[in-house]
Amino acid sequence: MLDEKEAKDLLNFLKLDMRPDLKGQATEYILGLTGNKDGCKYLGTKPALLKAVLALTRDPSVAVVKDCYHTLINLSADPVAHQALIKEANVLPPLLHNLLDPGYIFADQICTILTNLSRNKETCREVLRAIQDEGVGLAQIVEVFCTEGYNEKASLHYLGPLLSNLTQLPEARSFILDKDRCVIQRLLPFTQYESSAVKRGGVVGTLRNCCFDYSCHEWLLSDAVDILPFLLLPLAGPEELSEEENEGLPVDLQYLPEDKRREKDPDIRNMLIETLLLLTSTKAGRQILKKKNVYPIMREFHKWEKEPDVMVSCEKLVQVLIGDEPETGMENLMEVNIPEDVEKKFQALDVEEQKQIEKEREELLKSEAEEKAEAGSSEAKRECSGEALAR
Amino acid sequence: MASQTQNEPDDDCMDEFMDKFTTQKYKGGFNEKTWEEEFEKVPMFMKKAPEVIDPVKNPELACLQSIIFSDDTPLEEQATTYKNEGNDYFKEKKYKQAIASYSEGLKKKCGDTELNAVLHTNRAAAQFHLGNFRSALNDALAAKKLKPDHQKAIIRGALCLVELKKYSEAISWCDEGLRADPKEKKLLELRLQADQLRRAWERDARKSKLKEKKKQCEEAALLKAIKDRKIKLFAPAKAQRRSSDDEEDEEGVSGALAELSLDGISSENATGARVFLDESGSLNWPVLFLYPECGQTDFISAFHEGTRFLDHLTVMFSEELPPWDTERKYRPQDLQLYFADEEREEVYQVNPEHTLLEVLKHDRYFIKAGTANFIVLVKGSSFCKEFLSDKKVHRLKRTT
Repeated sequence: MLDEKEAKDLLNFLKLDMRPDLKGQATEYILGLTGNKDGCKYLGTKPALLKAVLALTRDPSVAVVKDCYHTLINLSADPVAHQALIKEANVLPPLLHNLLDPGYIFADQICTILTNLSRNKETCREVLRAIQDEGVGLAQIVEVFCTEGYNEKASLHYLGPLLSNLTQLPEARSFILDKDRCVIQRLLPFTQYESSAVKRGGVVGTLRNCCFDYSCHEWLLSDAVDILPFLLLPLAGPEELSEEENEGLPVDLQYLPEDKRREKDPDIRNMLIETLLLLTSTKAGRQILKKKNVYPIMREFHKWEKEPDVMVSCEKLVQVLIGDEPETGMENLMEVNIPEDVEKKFQALDVEEQKQIEKEREELLKSEAEEKAEAGSSEAKRECSGEALAR
Repeated sequence: MASQTQNEPDDDCMDEFMDKFTTQKYKGGFNEKTWEEEFEKVPMFMKKAPEVIDPVKNPELACLQSIIFSDDTPLEEQATTYKNEGNDYFKEKKYKQAIASYSEGLKKKCGDTELNAVLHTNRAAAQFHLGNFRSALNDALAAKKLKPDHQKAIIRGALCLVELKKYSEAISWCDEGLRADPKEKKLLELRLQADQLRRAWERDARKSKLKEKKKQCEEAALLKAIKDRKIKLFAPAKAQRRSSDDEEDEEGVSGALAELSLDGISSENATGARVFLDESGSLNWPVLFLYPECGQTDFISAFHEGTRFLDHLTVMFSEELPPWDTERKYRPQDLQLYFADEEREEVYQVNPEHTLLEVLKHDRYFIKAGTANFIVLVKGSSFCKEFLSDKKVHRLKRTT
């Protein structure tokens, strides 16, 4: 990488009072370094450079600040630099303070950095601790998340995935699931937030993580929270159900208009179904889902769905909904002990299933490509009949 | 009372005063018989204050009142007194008086924002209990403006908004209050309630929209079926004018069917029966049979278009002849059916072996007021000859 002298020179150029053109070149250079793994690794050993970059986020030139933030984003994407960023360069406090400034132009970049940092569990703990220690608090983050137009210059959609990452920690989950507060209830409507798949995905990820704690399933499914409709609405379509089926559904799912569209993103659809599956792990949960007519919704969904892995998840859910109750002792699917040989068999089956899904996905892509080619070729035929087809 | 020299306000004077009672009776006491009433009049011992204080009957009370409400006392004190007065009325559920007291307190315009916020909030509560939700909301808003963190004002405002069915606003008020105190139980409960009500209301809106749309579809299908069969509807001139004005409104069907309006098929018959399209896609009409000879009618509310007249007539006149048929001559095989072309004042004979649809398709047949009318006469009767004598009659062609 750089030798000692070069590193020292570079550090010199990364000062607030440096000539703008040199400063600009220096920040561009560092950004270039972060483009590959070696560069990131190198910078992870140079906390002085990182501190300089952080300091330059206060530079009056927007171009310089932008490069600095992009540098930090790239570095945060690679765990190799995490410790240096957090411990030695101490990036979290200034980042968090600027995050909540409603006029801060680079708030979105900060969200991305924090989301990257919180991906793996260790650094996530640091991020959560900083949130609590720096007087920011999870409550404020949720508040800002739920406030449309909080920052005119930044969408703050990446607060969604940030929350989702934070909820891999039990402390974050217990705040979101606090029965004496109104936190999770405020997040629920965002499963249908049309303007951003990132925000939607973040919320659904958060809800899925929260559902790993099966002790609060009954509360989540009760009127106090009523999580079920918000998980089902993105999966429900405009198909007309019979009056009888409608009346048995949760209120929010009754009489949906004919322009109702399902969730566009297949990964989010899959996460929603995974969350529903988690809710079926207790007997009480299964009974509630059966009683509230989840099956007709999933039935229509299955007819509509094309992605193989989402269909598989859907089938698993449907199986639980229409299948018999498991034997006594096995009612809580999360607590069942699976013997080792059976576990191995399941793993082998999973591998098989995965192969099958891959195959089907390839076939799907192939047939879609063929369709496009056919459509293209038939049009070309119209234009230049009989001659060689244009592409 | 015993006179007292002003220059001797000391124990001797007091002793002298007291000694008098050993010899003279005290004159200023209560009357033995009416002592309870008189007791009630002494301000200190009153159980209940009179609604209106009459300075003549209750001089002591009037005096006290003028002290309390004197213009000399500072405004805050006066306002506080009114507040307390209002609170007392409130406890006794006398909400109108409570409101009056609070209003007086606010009129003082004392500079104490906290006090004024409380006056507004309390008045809001009193208004709320009288069912004046808008006024209550205005007071809650005023209180909140003075003191944005006044939780009671926020709770009251949210309660009003729920009563006024403004659920989304109620929820955002609750959220505002919860920002200050995230665990405030009343706000949590209220938010939950408002949210549930809002979602139920949205469902009701969706349900009625769907029903409305379905109804419109059915109406359109019905009018199309009639038009496809080329059946003509005769709407009275008044209604036609009305319907041309209504052509622009959303309930009207598409341009192509504009000349057919619902007025043409809405019926004026007593039962309100109307033509409808059944599950097999057939029209069923309300049909009126007229028996001008006897001044009688028979009404069939749903005559399937594929049924022959003869089938109905056989059923109507088979077993028992109607009581008005005094001559016992209305037998199915002797009946003749006609319909009137009112425009041309002509009459057409109807073949009873034809179905309703075949007759309705006749190019001189018009459905009037949503009901198909037919005249029934007895073949060869004198009434029949007379009835048809002054009209042009189009008879059925005989098959030989």
